[in-house]
Amino acid sequence: MSPCNDKIEAMLEKVQKAPRYTGGEMNAVHKDWDSVALHYGFCFPDTYEVGMSHLGMKILYGLVNREPDQVCERFFMPWTDMKALMEEEGIPLFSVESRHALSEFDMIGFTLQYEMSYTNILAMMRLGGVTVLSRERGEREPVVVAGGPCAFNPEPLADFIDAFMIGDGEEVTLLVTAAVRDWKKSGAPRSELLKTLARIEGVYVPALYDVACDDAGRILSVTPNCPEAPARVKKCVVTDLNTAYYPRSFPVPYTEVVFDRIMLEIMRGCTRGCRFCQAGMLYRPVRERSLETLRSLAKDLERATGYEEMSLSSLSSGDYTCLPELIRALMKDLEKERVSISLPSLRIDSVLKESLEETQKMRKTSLTFAPEAGTQRLRDVINKGVTEQDLMEKVTDAFSCGWNAVKLYFMIGLPTETYEDLDGIVDLARKVVGCYFAVPKDKRARGLRVTVSASSFVPKPVTPFQWYGQDTQESLKAKQQYLKEKFRSVKGVNFNYHTPELSYLEACFSRGDRRLGRVLLAAVDRGCILDGWSDLFSFETWMQAFADAGLDPDSFAYREFGRDEIMPWEHIDSGIDRSFLLREYDRAQEARVTRDCRLGCNGCGLQKWKGVCGYANAGHV
Amino acid sequence: MRMLATFEKSERLRHIGHLDIMRAMQRALRRSGLPVSYSKGFNPHILLTFASALSVGAAGEREILEATLDEAVAPEDFVAAMNGALPPEMQLSSARIVDDRRPAAMAMVKAADYRIRVTDASAAETLCAALPGFLAQGEIVTDRKTKSGIKPTDIRPLILSAEMDGDTLRARLTATEAVSCKPGMLMNALSAFAGIEVPRVMVTRERLLGENEDGQLLPLEAV
Ligand code: SF4
Repeated sequence: MSPCNDKIEAMLEKVQKAPRYTGGEMNAVHKDWDSVALHYGFCFPDTYEVGMSHLGMKILYGLVNREPDQVCERFFMPWTDMKALMEEEGIPLFSVESRHALSEFDMIGFTLQYEMSYTNILAMMRLGGVTVLSRERGEREPVVVAGGPCAFNPEPLADFIDAFMIGDGEEVTLLVTAAVRDWKKSGAPRSELLKTLARIEGVYVPALYDVACDDAGRILSVTPNCPEAPARVKKCVVTDLNTAYYPRSFPVPYTEVVFDRIMLEIMRGCTRGCRFCQAGMLYRPVRERSLETLRSLAKDLERATGYEEMSLSSLSSGDYTCLPELIRALMKDLEKERVSISLPSLRIDSVLKESLEETQKMRKTSLTFAPEAGTQRLRDVINKGVTEQDLMEKVTDAFSCGWNAVKLYFMIGLPTETYEDLDGIVDLARKVVGCYFAVPKDKRARGLRVTVSASSFVPKPVTPFQWYGQDTQESLKAKQQYLKEKFRSVKGVNFNYHTPELSYLEACFSRGDRRLGRVLLAAVDRGCILDGWSDLFSFETWMQAFADAGLDPDSFAYREFGRDEIMPWEHIDSGIDRSFLLREYDRAQEARVTRDCRLGCNGCGLQKWKGVCGYANAGHV
Repeated sequence: MRMLATFEKSERLRHIGHLDIMRAMQRALRRSGLPVSYSKGFNPHILLTFASALSVGAAGEREILEATLDEAVAPEDFVAAMNGALPPEMQLSSARIVDDRRPAAMAMVKAADYRIRVTDASAAETLCAALPGFLAQGEIVTDRKTKSGIKPTDIRPLILSAEMDGDTLRARLTATEAVSCKPGMLMNALSAFAGIEVPRVMVTRERLLGENEDGQLLPLEAV
C-alpha cells in the first residue's frame, strides 16, 4: 500500500459509501507489484456500483491477470465527495487493489460504454496525475487505451486516447499489453510504441491520422500520416466463443451493485437488424456459446462466487438456439445451490412461452418487452419485427403464468414518427392491461403493474439511421407531454420518461468528430462529471462548455449527413458496409422490413470476411 | 449440527456494514462446498448468525459466527473449507462444534474487548492524562442511540475496565443484547471530559466475551 495510506484512511471515514474504495473482495487479484513486468489499470469511467456490474470488466480483469507477468487492477470514478477530498489532500486516484496511483501504471484502459461518461475519463486522468492530452503526455507516462462500443466512433476522444481497440477485446488486449511491456523494456521512444500499436489489427492510433474538414466541419479526408497506420482499422472479431477467454471467477463486491449476480454471456451479436440499434450492428456476427461450455462456466462461476442468482446475458437471449434446454440444464446443475436464473432483455417474439414455464419455478421478476414503437408502420420502419398479436400473446402467457409486472419500452423521436405513432403507444399499453383482465381471476396474480418507458431516440454510428438528425428537444418535449396527458386516463399504467437533454448531448457525441475534444475539456473544467446521475447533470453547464469551445451543439445533434458524406468514423471498419446501411435506410423510408439474417444472409458486409459470419452462407442476398 | 467459529474482519474491511459482511459469509458458505443448512420456506436462506454486529468503521479480530450444517463436519475441515472460500481479509481462526441445546451465541455475549488507537499524538496524550479522573467519576452520562431516539445513559457501570498506553486505549465494555456500550460512546464521553474534540480513532474489537458458571468472563468461543 502506498505511503498516503493514513490520509486515505482518514478520508474514507468522511465519505459516503466508503466500500466503493476499499476493495478486499473475494476473488480480487493481488500480485506483488515489483514482480510483474506490466501494470494495467482498468478504468471504468463511472462509479464502483456501475462498473462492477459490467461484464466486459470482468472478462478483461481475468484475462490480463491470467498472464503471470502482468497485473490488472481496477479504477472507478470516485463520487464527488471523495473526489473533493482527494483534491484537497493531494491524493491521486488510486487503484482498488494496491492503492497505486493511476500514473504509476504502464498502461491504463478505459471502457467506453456510453458517451456521457467521456468527461469522467478526463476527470479520472487528471485526478490520477496523468496528462490528459495525448500529444502532451510524457515519454514514460501511462499508455492510455480505450475500447468498447463507443470506440466505433472514437473521434470525440481522439485528443486524449493514445490507442483505441476496436471490437472484441479478448485477443487484442493481450497483444497490446505485450507490446507495451516490450516497449517499456526496450526504452524506445513513445512514438515508436504508437507505430507498433498501429500495426496490430484492430488498433486505431488517432495521432497517426490527419483529418481534413471544411468550414462547416464536414470531413474531407482522413489519411494516415505514417506507413504503419492502415487506411481503415478493421474491428477485431473473436470467431469462436467456446475457445475465447471467459472468466471462471470474478471479484464479488461486498455492497450491492447494479447487477449483483453471475452474468453468463450465452451469445454475442444479434441477427434481427433493428435499424436504430447500434449494438445489433457492432456485435455482428452472431456467435453462440455451446451448451457444454455454458454449463461448465456456470458451475465454475457458482463455485467461485457463491452468488444466489445468475442471469443469461446477450442482446437477444430468446434467440439462443436451444434456450429451453439450456435453462433446464442450468436449473438442474445448480438446483442444490438454489441459484435462481433470470432472463433479461427477452424479446417478445422469442421462444418465450416455454421459458416462462421454466422460470416460473424461480423468482418472478418483472418482465420486460420492447416493442419500441407504437404502430406497425413505425415498427416496420425500424425493422422491429414484432407484431401486436405477438405482444398480446406473450403478455397473456406471462399473466397466466403468474406475472403481474410488465415493463414496456418505447422510443420517441424515431425517423418518420407522427402523433399517430404516439397514440399507438397508448393503445398498446391499454391492450396489455386488457390482456391482464382477460385472464381468469383465479389464474392471474393480483396487483397489475404496467410500466411504460419512453426514451428519446439517438442516432448512432454504424446504423441505418446514422444519417438522420435527432428530433429537436422542443418536439421531444411536446411528445412527452402529449403522452403524459394521454396516459392520465389509462388505469394501471405508470408512464416514465426522461428530459431529452441527456439524449441530446448523447446525440452530439455519438456522431461527433475531433472538434468535440475541446468541448470535453471545457466541460470537465466546468465540473461536468458523473452526468449519468441526474442530480449532478447540468445542461446549462454543458451549453456553456460548447460556447467555450466555440461550437454549436445543434450542428452536431440535429445534423443530417449527406448520403455520400464521409462520416467522422469512416476510417473505422466495423465490417458493415455503407451500401448495406444505405439500403436499409431506403427500406426504412418505405417501411419495408428486412428479414432476420439467420433466415438468409442480407449481405451486411461481414460476408466478405471469410469465415467470420457463420450464417453468411446460409442464404443469398 | 451447529458450528461456532471465530473470524477476522480485517482493517481493510472496516467500512463494510454488518449485513454486507453477513452476506459475504453466506456466499463463502455456499462456495465452501460444506453441507450448509437452509431455512425452510419459500425463500430459503442459509442458517447463519453472528454473535454480535460490528459497527461500520471497526475491525474485528475474533468475531463469532454460528452456522448450521446438515451433516457432521470436523472443525478443522470446516476452517479449511471456509478459508479456501474467503478472501484473506475475512479468514477463520478456529471452530468448534456446539451442542444444539446451547443458547445462541448472540444471547451469550456479555462484553467485548476493544483496542482504540488515537491517530493524533497530542489528543492521545490529553486523553491518556484524563483517563484516571474520568474513570474515578461515579456516573458518566452520555448519549446513546436507541431505536426510539437518543437517550442519555450512564455508561460508568458498562465500562468494565479501561487503560491507555501511548496512543492506544484498551477497554472492556459491556455488550449484551439488552445493553451495551459502544467504543464511540466511550470516546465521546472521555473527550468531553478531557475538553477536546472527539479525535479520529481506529477501533478494533479484539474479542467477544461470555461468562462461565462462576461468572468469570472468558472469550466466548471458549465458554
Ligand atoms: S454476413 Fe449476412 S448473415 Fe452474417 S451478419 Fe451480415 S447479413 Fe447477417
